[in-house]
Formats: sequence, structure tokens, C-alpha cells
Amino acid sequence: MSDNKMMSTNPESVVYQRCTIDLATGRADFAAVPCRNLEDVLGGFGRSFQILAERDVANAYSPENPLILNSGLLTGTSVMTGMRSYFSGYSPLKQSGTGRPGAMWSTGSGNFGNKFKWTGLDEVIFENRSEAPVFAVLRDGANGPEVELKPAGHLIGLTGHAKIMALAAEYPDAHFAAIGPAGENWETNYMGAVVMSTDNELKSGEPKSRFAGRGGMGSLMGYKNLLAIVAQSPDKLQKITPEIRDVNRDILKSGGSARFQPTSQGGGGGTWANIEVLQVFHAVPLNNFRPKGCDNVERLFRDEVEREFEVATEACHRCGIRCHNNLFHKNEDGSRGKLAAKFDFEPLILFGSNLGVHNPKEVCDLIHRCDLLGMDAISLGTTIAYLLDYNERHPEAPILNGATFGDYEKIAALIDGAGRGLYPELGRGVKRLSEALGETAYAMHVKGLELPAYLPDTNPGYIFAIAGGHMSMGTHMMLAKEGKHSLDEWVQAITSGGLLQVGYDMIGLCKFVGVGIGHDIIVRAVKEAAGLEIASADILASVRRAYLRGLALELRQGFHEHEEYTLPSQVMDDPNHKVTLPKFITHDFLAQLRERVWSVFKPEMEGLLPVLKG
Amino acid sequence: MQIRIKLYASLRWKLFEEAEWECTPGQKIASIVEQLGLPRNDVGTVLVNGLHAAWDEIVQDGDVLSFLPRMGGG
Ligand code: SF4
Repeated sequence: MSDNKMMSTNPESVVYQRCTIDLATGRADFAAVPCRNLEDVLGGFGRSFQILAERDVANAYSPENPLILNSGLLTGTSVMTGMRSYFSGYSPLKQSGTGRPGAMWSTGSGNFGNKFKWTGLDEVIFENRSEAPVFAVLRDGANGPEVELKPAGHLIGLTGHAKIMALAAEYPDAHFAAIGPAGENWETNYMGAVVMSTDNELKSGEPKSRFAGRGGMGSLMGYKNLLAIVAQSPDKLQKITPEIRDVNRDILKSGGSARFQPTSQGGGGGTWANIEVLQVFHAVPLNNFRPKGCDNVERLFRDEVEREFEVATEACHRCGIRCHNNLFHKNEDGSRGKLAAKFDFEPLILFGSNLGVHNPKEVCDLIHRCDLLGMDAISLGTTIAYLLDYNERHPEAPILNGATFGDYEKIAALIDGAGRGLYPELGRGVKRLSEALGETAYAMHVKGLELPAYLPDTNPGYIFAIAGGHMSMGTHMMLAKEGKHSLDEWVQAITSGGLLQVGYDMIGLCKFVGVGIGHDIIVRAVKEAAGLEIASADILASVRRAYLRGLALELRQGFHEHEEYTLPSQVMDDPNHKVTLPKFITHDFLAQLRERVWSVFKPEMEGLLPVLKG
Repeated sequence: MQIRIKLYASLRWKLFEEAEWECTPGQKIASIVEQLGLPRNDVGTVLVNGLHAAWDEIVQDGDVLSFLPRMGGG
């Protein structure tokens, strides 16, 4: 990015550095691209979706589907959490009823985003696919960014973590984004994640990676025969001015991030605490999102788990929020043993109670397997939960290895098989599996993307999420937090605050900063770290346009505005009376919600997409 | 008059899990949180007898108040 002072009215004064790599020929073209609008300036999916909108892509696994790696405006700065990188493309997993793929992005932290930004690049578009497996090296060269494609035969079959460690031995001063075996098996596994290295991982050699999991961007990378990306640059730490120091202090003190900070720091201990809070309402997913009003999940409460494991709070590069909860085995003498798993709400539930597994040691093992094979924990966990449910309903004709809830060893075998490409039934996600089996009512997905560990019975906002579940529509906790359940309240939440959730997936910061995207902290961060004066109202308007462009793109890819903007029908047809929160989602409620939300959004969506040529 | 207070997750780790609490007639939830010494920012949700309640609600003898920490995340 140029460091011009910019007012919101002249985005073209900001220029970003793009490299387009044709994987078929190895050719790399560099360009300085002026921003078209504020979405381009803020970056992330706000920019990448404008590129995707210019393409007519009918199949995710086709040469015309690009894989876009980019950064956000604050990636690589000294603003706390400013290290996000984004992977975007048409998703193999998210698919409309017409068969066309939905556009997706996926993001993660770690130190890869910083290193990528410090190579001098803001965006890399990987076009076509390579004949043979390669990895890409992006580096900060003597005369600007340099790019090289190298043979990756030695990386084939390694876990994401092992690929990272193998490359780390070759490339000092670098960070890495790699796929695991799941991404390599892209034909039978559509839920491959991009695995990103952390400082802790490179230092300790332990698999403490971060993941850009949603939507199968790792599988798209696998299709392109791109096994890893190396971002090599000396650290270019931005000077922490007094103003940036104040921004970082406010991020830690504002209260928004406190719930993600370690308990030893006076914080809430990360998303893990959500289990105990949701259990108050018996709203923790159990046995495929069907809580039974029992206390089984309590074995996964933090104090219970601490009896068996040592919990260490760790962080990405220089982040004071320190939201990672890494569990270590305890040696017999009480000292810290091997890393067992990272433990956060999503994987904990989706590989624990939602599969009927309540023993923390077993849950750790399942999470660990999924991570090493490089799969999206949400998609895999939710698809396996469906399979177990199906098998329990059909004891006379179970599928695959016949696993049902709580069959830890068989579930472990399912994870391994999916990651190694042996179980396309699982690897292609719950939508396809449930349609093939003819039982879709309890398949927990919306628009082909599996639901995260918040019950759909509590969140009709899922239907307007554009990149899966809770990370692209911030309404997943509203009912438990506030008890709100009127139509007016839900229309208001979806059409105003909820959609702004995606703003963090533009600017390069982590959502765990925890303040609204138009907050004064963000405005100050942009001013101090990027040198741009952008008013809060302009940031909000830009994030809203980016979200609505994503929604418009869904309709253009064939998602039916009524039939596919819905929840699994079990929610409406068989409400779960064990959950003590209000039950308000009926077919009629959803129909009215759709009508009212579309009536707000549709006029604003006009003109946001370019007209496709031809 | 007496009420029962239940705390969850990080709030429970800081203070206690469950306790009987003496309060005065007309006392509001906000002032009970103050008495407990909990920063208001730490409390995300308040339930009275299992139903969501607001800070300025007045508690009644025998009520069960549940305080939940702020939730969020992914
Ligand atoms: S909040 Fe957590 S995931 Fe985000 S940068 Fe900090 S430690 Fe990493």
C-alpha cells in the first residue's frame, strides 16, 4: 500500500501491489493497482470479492477459479492482532442448488500474514493450475518482491505441520501457509484448510498452527497443485508510536477483548467459557445439535479439564490478547508433557459433546487428528455428527464403519479416512451426504456450509451469513445473551449490527479485538498505523457494501432467495424442548424474516456487481 | 430479604459458585453487582429465575439471580 494521506473520497490515491502467478506457465506479473473504492483500501474479502465478481465460474475446480491471497489494511502493522491474511476463491464446498459454487474467504492469524505483507505484496492471484506439485516462494528481494515456484515432491503426503517444519529448515526468516493431506486429496475432500505457521510452532517444533479453514480454500489450493506458500522477509516491525501504543492499550482494556484474555490476566479465558454459559440454557450442541437437557458436557468445563491437562495460554506474534488455550499432557512427575491439542469452543464441542464424546483426552486426540490432516474442524465435525446420527437412526443399515455417538475409536478412523481421501461421503460435506441419503432434515448446514457449534435453534441469522455460520453474521449469541426473539429484533440485528461482523475480515485485525468495526479504536488504528483518515461512517458504509456484494454474488451464483436461505428443517418441524431458551423459529417466522430482510437489502444490492462479459 | 446468587465460568472462578445473599427491598440488580465487587463490564447476561433481566430490575425475596460472563467468539 502507498502511504499517502487519504481522505475517504479519493481511494484511488492508495495503490496496492499485486502479483498474478500463472501456475500453468510459472509466469509472474507484478502490478501497482490503484484502489477503486474503500473496500479495496480496507482489503481482505472486500477486495478479493470484487475480483471474484468479475469472473464467471461454474465449477470451483476449474482453471478460471483463482485462489487469491491477500492482506488487510492493518496487516503487518504494529496494531495488536494486525496479522491476518485471507484466502478467497469459489468454494468447492459452498454450492447452490444450481450446482454453481459460492464465493468464499477464509482467514487466520499466526505470523504468515505479517511476513507476506513484508515481502512488499498486498495480493497474490494464483491462476490456473500447475501440472506438478509446487510451492511458491514470495520474498522481499533487492529490487522489490520476487516470486518463485519450486517443485514440491518432497512435501507430498506430509501433514500441514510437517510441511511447515520441512520448509522452515530450508527458509529462515520466513513463515508458511501449507495444506495437509486433506487438501492434497481435493477430489474427495472439499474441506481442506490452509494451515498457517506461528512463531511458537517454529520455535518449539510442536504443531501449534493456525488455520484458515472455512469453505475448502485448502482443497482449492490442492486442486491447483500448490502445496505451500513461503513468505520470506526480514521482520519489518513498524515503530510503535505513542498513538499506536494507546490504541493497543485500549484494545486490551476496552472490555471487548477481555473475554478472550487468559483467566490469569483477569480475562474470561477465551471462547472455552461459552460452554458453561450456554449450558445454563442446555444450549450446547450434543449428539448432532440435539441437547438432551443432561450434564454430560460438564466434563469439558475448564476446571474439569485442568485436572487432567496443563492449560497454557499462548499468543500469535506480539498479541496481548493471548487467546490460544493449548493443552499439554502432564508427565507422571507433574511436569509439562507433549502438546495434546488446542482447545477452543468450536473444536471442543464439535469433536466432543456433539459426537457424544465427553472424555477430554479423547476429544483432544480427535481435534489433533483433524488439525494434522488439515481439515476445517467445523465442516468435518458437523458432517461426522450427521453420519453418527444417521447410523443411530438406521441400526439395520449403517454407513461407512457403522460408528454411532460416543464411538471414539471409530470416529478417529473416520477422521483419518476423510483426511486421507478415503471417505468422500464425509469429505464432500454434509449437504451432499444428506442429499445422497435422502435425509436432509437434520443435516446441519446452510447453503452447503456446515454450522458451527451454536445451535441453529437459537440463530436464524445463519441464513444471511455469507461465509459460513457465525464469522460472517454476528448474531449467533444474541438469544442466549439478550433473550431477544421478536421478528423486529431479528430483522434489526441482521440488517444493522450483525453484518458488520465481516469488517474484521477486511482490515487485517482479529475479531477478538471485540469492538464494533466503526469504533474509535479502529478509526485511530487506521490513522496511526496506515496514515489514512477514514471516518467511522465511511468504514461502516464500506463494510456494508462489501457484505451486500457478497450476498449479491450468492444470488448470481444461483442460491435461491427463499429455498436456500433457510435452516435445517428439524429446527422448525421438531423443536427441541430441552433447550430452555424461547422457541420462536417457525416456517412462518423464517418466511417473514426473509421477506423483511430482503426488502432492506435488495435495493442496496443493486449495481454492486459488475456485468459479466459474454 | 434473601435471594440466591449463582455465578458462572470466569465469574464463578473469581468469587463463588452459589450463595444466599441478603438484600434490601427495592434493591436493583445493578447495585447487587456492585456489592459483589464485579466490574459491570465482566457481566454479560443476568437472569432472574431463568429469564433475561435488565440492570435496573428490582429483585424480589426468594429470587434466583444468575450472572453470566460476556460471551462471544468463534
Ligand atoms: S486474538 Fe488470538 S488469534 Fe487473534 S492475534 Fe491474538 S492470539 Fe492470535
